Amino acid sequence: MFSGILAELEKNLKSLPGIGPKTAQRLAIFLISMEKDKSLQIADSITEAVNSYHNCSECNILTAENPCKFCTAPERDNKALCIVETTQDVYLIENTHEFQGKYFVLTKLLSPLDGIGPNDIHFSKLIQKVKNENIQEIVLALNPSAEGETTIVFLATNLKDLVPSITRLSTGIPFGGDIEYSSTPTLINALKRRYTVKE
Amino acid sequence: MRIIELNLENYRNNLNLSINFQPEGALLFGPNGIGKTNLLEAISYIAFGKSILGLRDNELINFSETFFRITASVEIKSQIFHIEAAADKTKKVIKIEKNLISKTSILYNYLKVIYFSPLDIEIIQGSPGKRRQFLDSSISQLKLEYLEILQRFYRILKQRNSLLKDKTNLSSKESWDKKYIEISSIIIKYRIIFLKEFAQFVKEKYHLISQRKENIEIKYRYSFPLLSDLDYFENLTNTIDKNAKYEIKSERSMYGPHLDDLEIKINDHDIRKFGSQGQKRSLSIALKLAQSQMMRENNECHPILIFDDVFADLDEDRTTQIINLLENKHQIFIATPNISQYNQINLPRIDVERFINSE
Repeated sequence: MFSGILAELEKNLKSLPGIGPKTAQRLAIFLISMEKDKSLQIADSITEAVNSYHNCSECNILTAENPCKFCTAPERDNKALCIVETTQDVYLIENTHEFQGKYFVLTKLLSPLDGIGPNDIHFSKLIQKVKNENIQEIVLALNPSAEGETTIVFLATNLKDLVPSITRLSTGIPFGGDIEYSSTPTLINALKRRYTVKE
Repeated sequence: MRIIELNLENYRNNLNLSINFQPEGALLFGPNGIGKTNLLEAISYIAFGKSILGLRDNELINFSETFFRITASVEIKSQIFHIEAAADKTKKVIKIEKNLISKTSILYNYLKVIYFSPLDIEIIQGSPGKRRQFLDSSISQLKLEYLEILQRFYRILKQRNSLLKDKTNLSSKESWDKKYIEISSIIIKYRIIFLKEFAQFVKEKYHLISQRKENIEIKYRYSFPLLSDLDYFENLTNTIDKNAKYEIKSERSMYGPHLDDLEIKINDHDIRKFGSQGQKRSLSIALKLAQSQMMRENNECHPILIFDDVFADLDEDRTTQIINLLENKHQIFIATPNISQYNQINLPRIDVERFINSE
């Protein structure tokens, strides 16, 4: 068991995702035993990143510039908006190169158990944005969890009169999946949203 | 479907043994407390990945040890599988053919076991929750995806209840209502389809067991009145809309699958209030036999049947009759302290006391 400053460091490291008590201890020891310059460099870059990154005032994405590079990019489609839960999701979608519009990060999903309602997912800001920028298409890229699905219903219901096209990510058989091992709900979804291979 | 060999290490009270079973099963006898139930529980652990008696994994470990392990060779549709289940005080490991499985529910695709316990009578005379649990677990054994749907339902129910209680985010109520009604309708669909076939089987089995012409009726009882010209989705939608204030005041979901029940009538009377102990016992056995029949119809397999001293309050003739009812394709295990009740039953006998002492 550590004590004092080292225990504090261990406790702080443990609060990171994917870090358990053993890893936290190992990292703490590693940080104090490595070359001082290097470990201070880690500390500095944490301080710098944390100090310079904020939520974009337009779309909530974590960014060093405000507005963010997505909101200010002239080549991106102004009329299409992809709604995601986290900043990480934005980058996952960017990796696909399939979406050229702009983003809106909810930061959370509706979850009464955690006290999260429409105000906590920046709903009024979203409505304003949709109205001001005359958004024509919305893509709801949220997890198909109980909370994600309900948030999709909430947004779709409340935006349907403002936006001509609202779509959500498809759910069904994944690439590398197998019909034999797909559950009935998955197959139902896949059948409902099947697509044409020959016109 | 049968279990060929069972090996136990550090399981419960001193059970370290290796035992081979015949295709027809075994009649396990010995005085109370010798470990007959432990043996049956170990067999069903291989099917369910947990204690059928509701014990925690660490309660299955022998007092002086730190882990237990059950290994079994089973034959399923002429194929042999090796299944291993082990747990120490912190975690459990289940392997099929030496491969670790990620979810316990994967096991449900392998060995099918129906466990008849003296406590089954609670399905009939206990609270509605017992009947819902029986219904839901019967469906899950046939339709693996039902388990996921059920988990999703309970997640949404918990969220919706929290919304009704907390009241600060009622502007999102409409969306939670919609998801709640949607998933409730799916649950009901599964339950009604299951019950249609199941109720018929129960009736047949009961008649065979009781040899009387009593009329058994099983009906699904909804937690709110339904209008017959609307489907369940519309009915629940209307009820929830009409009673919005009441639900907010009550701070929880007052209508839905979590409050439904099964109505079991014998000659038009509620069996809970008017049934004799014998009728209830016979019916509880009929329920489990019908469960086994459902598995046969759906999976074309004959589940292993385990009877843990359920015939104690039935006479020898009745007991023989029930056992003779079963097709000989089932592997059958019966545990009893009283072997004389089974004179006419043709199963290999295992003296559990002698067996354990000789190991």
